[in-house]
This record gives sequence, C-alpha cells and structure tokens, in this order.
Amino acid sequence: MAAVTDPIAAAPRRRADSHRGLVFILLAPVLAFFVVFNTIPLLWLLGLSFHNFSLTSGMPPEFVGFQNYYQLWLGRNNFWGDLSRTFTFVAVGVTIQTLLGVGLGLLFWGSRTMPGRRIALTLLFAPMVLTPVATGTFFRFIYDPNFGVLNQMIQGLGLPMVDFLGSPATAYWAVLAVDCWMWTPFMILMTLAALGSVPKAELEAAEIDRLPFRKRFTLVILHHGKFILMLGILLRVIDSFKTLDLIIPMTKGGPGQQTRLVAVELNKQAFESFNMGFSSAYAVYLLLVSIAMTSVFIFVLNLRRRRGS
Amino acid sequence: MARSTLISARNQLIMPRRRLLKGAAAFGAATLGAPFINRLHAQEAHPLAGQTIEMSILGIAGWLPSSLGVQMSPMFAEFAKERYGYDVSFTFAEAPFADLFQKAATSLATRSQEFNIIISDSQWLGALAQPGWIVQLNDIIAQNPELQVEWYSPIVVDTYMKYPDGSDQLWGLPQEGDTIALFLRQDMLDDPAEQQAFQEAHGMPLPRTFEEYENLTMADFEKVAAHFTRPDQNLYGTAMQYSRVYDFVSCYLYPFMWSQGGDIWNPDTGEVVGILNSDINATAMQQMKDWLKYQPPGATNFGIAEEVDVFTQGRVFSAFQWAAVGLSMIPESLQGKVLVVPPPKHGTGDSAGRIYTMGGQPWVLNAFNDDAHMRVGIDFLKWWYQPETAVEFARRGGNPADAATLNSPDFDTINPWNRAYKYMLTDGRSRDFWHHPKYAEMLALQQEGFSAFMTGQNEDAKAVLDYIACGQQQILADAGNAPMVPDMCYSTSL
Amino acid sequence: MRRSLYHAVLWLVALIWFAPVAWIILSAFKTREDILATPPKLLFTPTLQNFRDLFTTNASFVVQFANSVVLSLVSVVIAVAISFLAAYAFSRFKPKGTDFLMFLLLSVRMLPGPAVILPIYLMYAAFGWKDNHVALVLFYAMFSVPFSVWILKGFLDGVSIRYDETGRVNGGSWFHVIFRVVLPQVKPGLIAAFIFNLIFVWNEFLFNFVIGGVQTQNIPYALAVGTYSDGGLNWTFIATMTTIYILPPILAIYAFQKYLLVGMTFGTVRGEV
Repeated sequence: MAAVTDPIAAAPRRRADSHRGLVFILLAPVLAFFVVFNTIPLLWLLGLSFHNFSLTSGMPPEFVGFQNYYQLWLGRNNFWGDLSRTFTFVAVGVTIQTLLGVGLGLLFWGSRTMPGRRIALTLLFAPMVLTPVATGTFFRFIYDPNFGVLNQMIQGLGLPMVDFLGSPATAYWAVLAVDCWMWTPFMILMTLAALGSVPKAELEAAEIDRLPFRKRFTLVILHHGKFILMLGILLRVIDSFKTLDLIIPMTKGGPGQQTRLVAVELNKQAFESFNMGFSSAYAVYLLLVSIAMTSVFIFVLNLRRRRGS
Repeated sequence: MARSTLISARNQLIMPRRRLLKGAAAFGAATLGAPFINRLHAQEAHPLAGQTIEMSILGIAGWLPSSLGVQMSPMFAEFAKERYGYDVSFTFAEAPFADLFQKAATSLATRSQEFNIIISDSQWLGALAQPGWIVQLNDIIAQNPELQVEWYSPIVVDTYMKYPDGSDQLWGLPQEGDTIALFLRQDMLDDPAEQQAFQEAHGMPLPRTFEEYENLTMADFEKVAAHFTRPDQNLYGTAMQYSRVYDFVSCYLYPFMWSQGGDIWNPDTGEVVGILNSDINATAMQQMKDWLKYQPPGATNFGIAEEVDVFTQGRVFSAFQWAAVGLSMIPESLQGKVLVVPPPKHGTGDSAGRIYTMGGQPWVLNAFNDDAHMRVGIDFLKWWYQPETAVEFARRGGNPADAATLNSPDFDTINPWNRAYKYMLTDGRSRDFWHHPKYAEMLALQQEGFSAFMTGQNEDAKAVLDYIACGQQQILADAGNAPMVPDMCYSTSL
Repeated sequence: MRRSLYHAVLWLVALIWFAPVAWIILSAFKTREDILATPPKLLFTPTLQNFRDLFTTNASFVVQFANSVVLSLVSVVIAVAISFLAAYAFSRFKPKGTDFLMFLLLSVRMLPGPAVILPIYLMYAAFGWKDNHVALVLFYAMFSVPFSVWILKGFLDGVSIRYDETGRVNGGSWFHVIFRVVLPQVKPGLIAAFIFNLIFVWNEFLFNFVIGGVQTQNIPYALAVGTYSDGGLNWTFIATMTTIYILPPILAIYAFQKYLLVGMTFGTVRGEV
C-alpha cells in the first residue's frame, strides 16, 4: 500500500539557470523566513555563546572566548549527566516503542475487514496527537500515590503502593513509560506502512513455500520494509531527544536530577536562570548533536534512493 | 541590542520623580477641564481625572492572597472613581510560583508594559531590581504619606522591601505577609480516647492548645506525629514539603538549619562554602528526611497544593503549611475542626529555638510604565494600605503586614491562623533568604541537591551540601561579587 | 468465529491504549470529590458543572481558545502556501544548494525547543515583538515550513513533469501551470502538511509561553499555568479543558486518517494504513 517517495529525487534536468527570475520569486518567501527566523537568530546564538551574559545582572555581555564551552565540557552543572540520561531515555524508549510497535503492527496487519476499523485506529493513534502538557499533567494524577487510579489498581492486586514520580528508582521509568504510551502508536503506523510496501506476490510465494513465520519475517517483510522502519526509528530518536513538554508538568526534572533531560536543563538555564551566554553554548552543543542525527537520517534516505533506482 | 536595552533600562530608574513632577504640571490643566470636580467634595484634584486607564496585574496562579488582590481590585476602581475621578479597569495574568519569575522576567526584559503591577516573590527583588526592571520606591514612599506605613516587625521590611540586604534601598511593598504555621486537626486532639492513649504511651498529656504548642519542641511533636501515624487507616502524622519544584523543599529545610544555629551564606562577603556545608546543616537535613516516616506516601513530591489535598481529604493529622493558604486548608468540611499553632521549636532545653522561613510577596511596579500607569500604580498601592482595605483583606482571608491591623484587638479572631501568623511574624522567629539577582540559579541547584538527598539518591548529607555550596559559590563568583571557589570544590558531585 | 475473536483482540488493544484518555474525559464529568475519591469511581452521576464553570467563571478561556484557533490556522496556511512555492522550485528547477537547504531546514526543526526559542526570544525582546499575534504567527509559520517543504517536495517529485510541459506548450503562464495544473495533483500533500503542522501548533506550549503573553496565550499555556487553584491542584479544570481541547485533533485523525502517515513522516513515507 505504502509507496516510498523520493525526497531528493533528481529533477529531470537542471533548469534553474534558465528560469532564474521565477525560481527566485518562488523561493523568496521561504528564504526570507529562513534568514529572519533561522540564520540571524542562529548567528546571534553563536555570538552569545562566547559571552558571559545574564539577563538579570544588568551588565552588558562580556566576551569570554570559549569559557562556556569549556566549562560545559568539564561537566559544569552535570552536563554529561544530562546527556547520558537523555541518550538512555532515547535508546530504551525507542527500543521499547519499536518492539511493541512492530509486534502490534503485525497484529493489526490483517485488520482490513475489521468492523469499526477506522474508529479503533483513531483511538489507538489518539495519544500521538494529545497536547503533551495536558498528558503530562494528567499522568501526574494517574501516578499519584494517594489519589491516583494506578496505585488503586496495584493495591487492589494486593501489591504495595508505588510512589511513581516521587521515588528516584521509578520516576525516570514512569516518565519513559508515558513517552512509550504516546509514541508506540507511531511505530505501529510505520510498521503498517512497511508491511504495505511488501509485494503481495512475494508474500504469497513464501506462503506457498510454507516458510516458517520467522523466516518469512526476516526474508520477505524485513527485506522490503526495513527502510520505512529505519526512518521511523530515526524519527523517534530525533523526536525523543527533544522531550520537554511531557516532563515539565510531571517532574520538572526531579526528584533530584533524575529526569533532567537536555531540553529540560536548557529550558531552566535559559528561561529560569536567564544565563543567556551559558545557555547559548549549551544550545550550540545540542545543535551539533541534531545536525549529526539529521545527517544520519538523510544518509538513510539516500541509501534507499540508490537502492530504489 | 540587548546591551542598549539594559543601559536605557538603567536610565529608566531615575525617571519616576521627574514623571511625578510632570504629572503635577499636567494636573493644573486637568482641573480646568473638569467642571464636576466640586460635586464630590472628597475628590482630590488629579491629573488623570476623567480618563480611563486599563491596568494589568501579574499574580501567582492558584495562590490565594494573590487572587484576593485580584478580587479586591474592583474596590479600588470604585475608590479611584470617587477620590480621583478616573476610571480604571483591570486585567490579570497568572503563572504558578515556579514559572512566575520566568513570565515576569521574559516580559520585563523586553521593556514591555504588559504587566503594570507585579506580585513578585520576595527573593526576586534582586533579580528584578538589578537590571532596572522595577521602580525604586524610596522617593515615592517619601512623597506619599499613605505609603509610610508602620510595619509589624523589621522582618517585613527586610523580606519584602529591601535590596541589597542591609542597604536602605526599597523596591517593593508587602502584598501579603506569610509565615509557616502548623495546622492541626482539633477534632482528633479533642477525642478523649486519643488523649488517654497518648498519655499512656508517652507519659505526657497530648498538647492541645496554642500555648502548649508555643513551647513544644520537635522532639515532643514527633511523639504526637507518631501517635497519629496509622498507615492501615490511611492516616499519617504530618506533612511537610519535599518537592524539587521551585523553592518547596528549601523553605521547609531551612527551619531545621536556622533554628539549630546553621546558616546558608554570608550576604556581605558572598561566602557560601564553609557556611552552608556545616555539620549542623548536614544533621538538619537528616532530621528532615527522618520526618518522612510520619508522612503519607509520595511526600517527597509534596508541594503546597499536594499538602492541601492530603490535609483536606483527611489523610494527615497535621501539616506544616503557609499561613497564606489557610482558607484552602480549612474548607467548609473542616470548619471548626482545625487548630493553627506556631510550628514547634528545634533543639532541647533552653537552647531550643525557632527560626522558620518567611513566605509572602511584595507588590512591585514595572519601571517601564508610562506616566499614567505609574500614577495609577502608586494610587493602587496607597489604597492597598488604607486601614479599611487592610481589614477587608484580612476578612477575606489575606494576611496584612502593617502594625495597626495586626495589633487591632479583633485581628486574632478574624481567621483561625491569624494568631499563629502574627506570632511567627515577630522579629527573630522567621527569616527570608537571598535577594540576590542569581536567586533562580542558586535555588535550582540546591533544590536538585536537597531533593536528591530526601529521595535517597545521595545518602551523604555532607557531600550534597558540599556540592551545593561549591556550585553556589561558583555562581556568585561568576556574578562578580564573591570569593573564588576553593580547591576542595573540584571533587564534589551530586 | 476465529475472525471475530481476532477482531475483538484488536479492539481490546485499541481500547487499552485509549484508556488513559478515556479516564481524562470521564473526569471532566465528575465533581472534585468524585475525582479524588478512593477507590476510583467508574460509576458516578455525571455533571456538566465543570463545563459551565469553564465558560462562565473563567473569563479568559474563550480568548485563549480563540488564540489557539487563530494562531494555528493562520500560521499553517501561510506556511503551506509559501512552502508549496518553494517545494515547486526545489522539485522542478533544482537550483544550486537544494540538498543543502533541505538539510538545513530539517536540522533546525530537529533542535530541542529551548535551543530554537532562545535566540528568537532575544531577537523579539530587542525588537519589542513579544506578545504580538503577528510576530507569533510568523514564528509558527517559520516553524511549520520545513516539514511542509519536505512533504510537498515529495509529492511534487511524484507528479510527472509532462504536465508542466504540456501546460507551457499550450501557452499557459507559469501561474496557470503552478496553480491550475500542478496544485490539484498534490492536494493530498497539501492536506497532510496542513493537518500535521496544525496539530503541532495546536499543542505547542513552550514557544507560546516564552514569546507570547497576555494577549496571545493559547490553551496549552493556560493548562500549564492554571493547574493550581486556591484549593490545591485544580483537577476539574485540567480534565475539562483537556477534554475540550483534545477533541479537534482526535476528530482530525479520524477524518484525515489516510494523511496521518505522510504527515508524521513529513512526506518521506507515503500511503495509507
């Protein structure tokens, strides 16, 4: 069903030169936006990252060279801790979402004729489109040890109460669980798309050959669907690296620093402590990470293009 | 760009007086054009007479005294119409404690008039005053006798008005005073069966009156808390705040430190290392953590609201809570069943004492207000300290801080918590912490540290204090007015 | 029989996944006491009081809701319109630096929120653009451009260039070719870009909090600051406002289910499920 489009398809021929005026008119609005809202602010950010500048000090920015970068590199305010927590969050979260998503995706594969399929899928996909702030706030309530429904169920089973968001042993995983709940449907969606890209003929051939499911999965399904699945995984990696809205209402990065991911810490440094210079350096480090991830993403897209042609 | 913003923000600071003079000049013209001026003989000649002004107030979301200020503002509109002859309407914006400074600062840094009057937290005075975002009030107070209020105690001035500490610069005026109080379930105390059981178990009578609690130590109160801790009945002895959010755990840990002789920094020299990371403070942290066993599950995440929930839902016998939320702590279902007393003393014998944390917020005026809004802002403050307004504020559940209202004979009986509030507002019993511009950063650092200790991520109180002290020393040193970080700091971590 | 059992299992999975959302919606019809009741109440007398309260006592709700609608609709319409033009240029003329520009567009979009908004905030602060509808719309539009360009370029690459050529040979102007000939062919792409970005801006909190203000606050902002009331955490408010607010996105994925995949993968994967 799902067709893979070619994002960087080669245009039939290079005709930009002969239509320079038109190309300029077409691109002008986006380029104007890009310069005003991306290029200029990014240069500003880069400049500030070499300064000591606090918005609440009343002092003008003071040039300090690479000091902010250097201090972060040395681990000031536990920078490496933030990064490692974030990478764990991404790795564990995306793994769970992928496994669950592929499993459930396979389960939903044959559901074309299911009554009310559209409604069922809407319910299943709903978590993806919820307002994260609302989700976070409400999960705080669901997790509440005194009034939350989850603890009532746990106690109903005769198990001891769990202080999900208050205890350092569980807080991180409780937040991660909500992220998985929100985004497993996305991996289901991608799995269904991947399954749709498998040619029917090959599947039927495999069936006729009585290949065991495991073999059918690796030889036929994964072979054709792996690019879509890889794109899905990459998109999740990039997205969960940014996790913020969910954590702010649930834990604010606590208890201690337990759920302090990079976005949470940067938000705190920039808009609570107003350390603009230090935060800019922090943001530049994150920019490098996201450029690296985007490069991998584009690389995978190009792999597929080469394979496709 | 940011540089010029800040520099002109500074210049803005010296404006108010000139503005007022300009206002006075405009006033002459206004009287000529206002034929109705004699109709109301109480009406003063006012440069804004006949005009309509829209004021906006930024307050704290879900904070009762703040919303009382909002609810009472129509009274000011009436007052202003009658006394000064102008119309004023109010709009309100809110943000919770944890985000209000962010909200105010992101707006003020743009030199915006988005919020004309702001209910600030006391510790933000430095961060708001230093960049010139709020008006210095010394001249305004000197020119307006209505603002020369006699405050209940020097703590009021130190907490809500002064920055830097020990100077005579005034930047705010108390919107409401606030202290920590101990809320108790009187109905449980009055139960003879409980009294007898307690007497038998501990060989002392169950403390039941304000006076008994006035002299109670934490060691004795621990017996009371233990007595009412019954997990099988879903009842716990007490509740305090341990949350990492905003300043919650700090405000409830400081009493353990201060009352036993600990301190947090030296405001004159900016020294933190060697003061905060003392053995007294480390012991204090362990003591506060030990109190968790008398509190409901999830107490390590308790903030103001969570405490209100467990207390009003009958899950706890007592709660250490801000007097300011008295109204929410005592809903209709608990009316007449709650006794509010001073929180217990720390230590034993004659050396036992209590120094709890100050709460409460000042009003501050946006330095970027134009003449009209500045004028109305000042009129508003003048109205707020009218004796009738202060009494009305108290009647509605707020806590004024002026001596006249607090000393009036019926103040103690207006609200159940008034007596405890007044007791704790007395000099030496409560104290505020840093008014430094780096407040938010220093706070976030120690909130993480204290919360890590309280939740058991780091079991070593001294190591946590070393980490916090060094981090704060670094922040202050970077800000340029503190000694450098000592070498021991390179080995600290959370 | 086996078939209906299979369908029952699928439905069960969907319902389990939806359960937390259902719990929010149920709570919107409960009183505060019922919400805080232990054990939790599944059976209760539903009340509409919370909704009435929201519209009557919370004066700013209507304004915030209107802000949400206006900000998301206007900014996404602008973004999709200009992205279509740019995507057309990228797809048809492939000017120098196309790959690089597409890469830049995407990498900025993949940066964590605070890093994006930090320099924008300083810029807005300097120019006095904070709490301004136009400034906020423009920012959201910029933020919606990258994915829209990617989605639309993917679709445009799939439309044969012969359409353009035929149109031009028959004497049509470029305007005619772009808007009358090619545009109708990529309608699904336009819808996907529109819906996907709409949902994003609809749910956006941080940017609104930092560069918005009293005039421009949206509902996620209101949810973040309104969770506390004078009596502790305001669960009725949270549940009610959330219920109203999540309805449009849920209806959108019901109505536009076949565009979901394109949107969520910003055009790199196309099709339906």
